[in-house]
Amino acid sequence: MPRIACRFALLAAFLFAVSAHAEDDLKAGKELVYTCGGCHGVTGYKNAYPNYHVPRIGGQNYDYLVAALTEYKKGERAHPTMRAQGEGMSDQDIRNIAAYLSSLKP
Amino acid sequence: MKSMHFLALLACAIAANVFAADEGGGAPGKSVKDVAKPCEACHAADGNGTATQYPRLAGQYHDYLARAMHEYKTGDRQNAIMAGFVKTLSDADIDALARYFAAMPGKLDDLAHHEQGSD
Repeated sequence: MPRIACRFALLAAFLFAVSAHAEDDLKAGKELVYTCGGCHGVTGYKNAYPNYHVPRIGGQNYDYLVAALTEYKKGERAHPTMRAQGEGMSDQDIRNIAAYLSSLKP
Repeated sequence: MKSMHFLALLACAIAANVFAADEGGGAPGKSVKDVAKPCEACHAADGNGTATQYPRLAGQYHDYLARAMHEYKTGDRQNAIMAGFVKTLSDADIDALARYFAAMPGKLDDLAHHEQGSD
């Protein structure tokens, strides 16, 4: 009996995970990512002060992208431009962006 | 005979170079591979992450990786796990680690090769 309950819980968890991901909208993400291209779409583009390359974000892992953008949104990462971007994003925007970016292949 | 000397010298030079490249920086005698060991638990030995909550490091810009580690150190990025790991790293360790992971072949790309915006 506990085994069946365990299986059911696993199935429920699986279905939840699938449906949560299915809500992400690649097309909406692609539209939102237009803004990112200003810095992340220029090969070799560098942050001015201090001077370092802006990261490659195409192909980055989905959950990390969600976490990073959420941290900018909440002010847990200091970068001023990225904080400003994050503040304008809803949680769903962030998931859509992450879904699109993580789908890219070099 | 002269060519033998030259070969021996060359071998020494190569060996010295390899050791220099492998130098971790902060802790003497510790290679960057040793320093990178704890990172691999989450970021994987190939730098692509053991799960999707961890970022891919392989193929990322080394100066960005170094910057991120410094930010975890200063608190400009707040992450309890990363703060704990970078605490013990010297500037030389950070630079060596950043170059080590950046040099790995990865799946990261900038957006220059990808269409953005609406179709």
